[in-house]
Amino acid sequence: MGILNLSKLLADIAPQALKEHELKTYFGRKVAIDASMCLYQFLIAVRTEGNQLTSADGETTSHLLGTFYRTIRLIENGIKPVYVFDGKPPQMKSGELNKRHEKRVEAQKALEKATEAGDVGEIDKFNKRLVKVTKLHSEEVKKLLKMMGVPYVDAPCEAEAQCAALVKAGKVYAAATEDMDALTFGSKVLLRHLTFSEARKMPIQEIHLDKVLEGLEVTQNEFIDLCILLGCDYTDSIRGIGPKRGLELIRKHKSIENILESIDTEKYPVPENWNFKGARELFQEPDIADAENIEMTWGEPDEDAMVKFLCEEKNFSEERVRNGCKKLLKAKGGSVQGRLDGFFTVLSTTPAKRKVEDKKNTPNKRGKGTKGRGRGPK
Amino acid sequence: MFEARLTQSAIFKKVLDAIKDLLNEASFDCSESGIQLQAMDNSHVSLVSLTLKSDGFDKYRCDRNLTMGMNLASMSKIFKCSSNDDTVTIKAQDDADTVTFMFEAKKQDKISDYEMKLMNLDQEHLGIPETEFSCVIKMPSGEFARIVKDLSQFGESIVISCTKEGVKFSTSGDIGSANVKIAQTSNFDKEEECVSIDMQEPVTLTFACQYLNSFTKATPLTPVVQLSMSDNVPLVVEYQIPDLGHLRYYLAPKIEEDEN
Repeated sequence: MGILNLSKLLADIAPQALKEHELKTYFGRKVAIDASMCLYQFLIAVRTEGNQLTSADGETTSHLLGTFYRTIRLIENGIKPVYVFDGKPPQMKSGELNKRHEKRVEAQKALEKATEAGDVGEIDKFNKRLVKVTKLHSEEVKKLLKMMGVPYVDAPCEAEAQCAALVKAGKVYAAATEDMDALTFGSKVLLRHLTFSEARKMPIQEIHLDKVLEGLEVTQNEFIDLCILLGCDYTDSIRGIGPKRGLELIRKHKSIENILESIDTEKYPVPENWNFKGARELFQEPDIADAENIEMTWGEPDEDAMVKFLCEEKNFSEERVRNGCKKLLKAKGGSVQGRLDGFFTVLSTTPAKRKVEDKKNTPNKRGKGTKGRGRGPK
Repeated sequence: MFEARLTQSAIFKKVLDAIKDLLNEASFDCSESGIQLQAMDNSHVSLVSLTLKSDGFDKYRCDRNLTMGMNLASMSKIFKCSSNDDTVTIKAQDDADTVTFMFEAKKQDKISDYEMKLMNLDQEHLGIPETEFSCVIKMPSGEFARIVKDLSQFGESIVISCTKEGVKFSTSGDIGSANVKIAQTSNFDKEEECVSIDMQEPVTLTFACQYLNSFTKATPLTPVVQLSMSDNVPLVVEYQIPDLGHLRYYLAPKIEEDEN
């Protein structure tokens, strides 16, 4: 689930870290996609009349359909995706997973009730809550990706952590996931909404870690502690300390240990056996495969295999699959547009002062600070 | 206080027409030495670099460096309200949130003032290294525009290959292929009609038509265009603005995809 309220905090405190771009501006970029997250999206979103798409024998195919079309869309836009699949969840996540399991049981009960009552809206709502990405789903998607010539990586543990490692090693430009904890794991760039449906017309949100740290005025380690305070998947947080207060405390005391010494634990009860150190360690030293040794190759699609798998086994329309293949081949063939920022280096960025209040408070900023700004060629 | 005065508002019109295809908005950096603009298009494939030297203006005053972010479409609207031979004066206070364009008509006693809100822009400034180019081609700008326009009908990209004999522009697409070759001319009487090639090494590069077409919007500025190319670096398309400065476009080439 990521970090509670982090994106809201960033929008308030460090708006310069958030940028929005259109999908087409990402051509030529390699991007690591958190596969589990996007399969979940597909299972929820790719539906007709509230039901998941299924093959003739009733097996779900929403995840395959989603993967097929949205991957083609990325590749058509010149993006090179690599999917990263979750491995075993870390021990510390079991608390969170238990909670999710409980919620699922509740949803199951509510669903039965709704079915009895015949409330369509409620049935739909709880049906979606019951969605779970199974091993079979992942395996099928991997099989499809291989046929499409798209690489994937099996993370030993959390996919976000592995995505972050790929970014850090310079293997890919960004990690694409909705989970904000990719930043906590140290991903320099995070893309959100990348695999959303085109119909939603949602621009892609790009978050730069260096700008986040700069905006929040914290170091990476302090940022990790802040995320734990906000609430992460691995441990509880202190009740009564919200985003603003958390940031204040971190800025002042630099670490959770120091905060614990200074705050009134009567007022802010610290969770029993609070294992923030374990969570911190998970963020600092996650269980990942060495990104340097991961080879990723984007190959040609295997049209016949795809037709066999998707059409014969999963009842996809053959025409559409073959069309999709053509798009993949077309995007693959020929030359690729280079990016200018690949040739020239960015000397400096002048951030826009977005907030209106800012402008009111500091009307005299304009025109100063031209020092060190890159001029054009003379 | 910033003030710049130019007797021909037409020049500004032409400059705006030449960049507003690629950029929606841009920051004008004003200093004692003149006005500079450097900005990449949205997709980060091309870059516009404009230099207007202070001594090219009829009057120029810039007490303190300032950066003015402007919406180019709005600016263009304002300049459309002026006649080509109007005198234009651009004025801004040091800490202003607005810029004023004043047009003075030549024939009659008419002064129009337009005040435009400035924008706060988020801009990346790129360091562009000085490069020795393998090929530098000078040719009539109208000819270049014509070739790019013609070839764009047939394909998405144009291959420019430059050898000692001449320059070849080629493309291919669904209906077939097209080639245009131009040779060096030795007619030195009219420099404006001459094609000259200064070549160290032959170069062949591929570029997207869409951007080249946008660049040729600068054609009305000057009769000669200069193309500079080297292997694996961006193409530079340069238009001189007589007496005032220059407008340069940089364009990243299309790259053959390697196996990884």
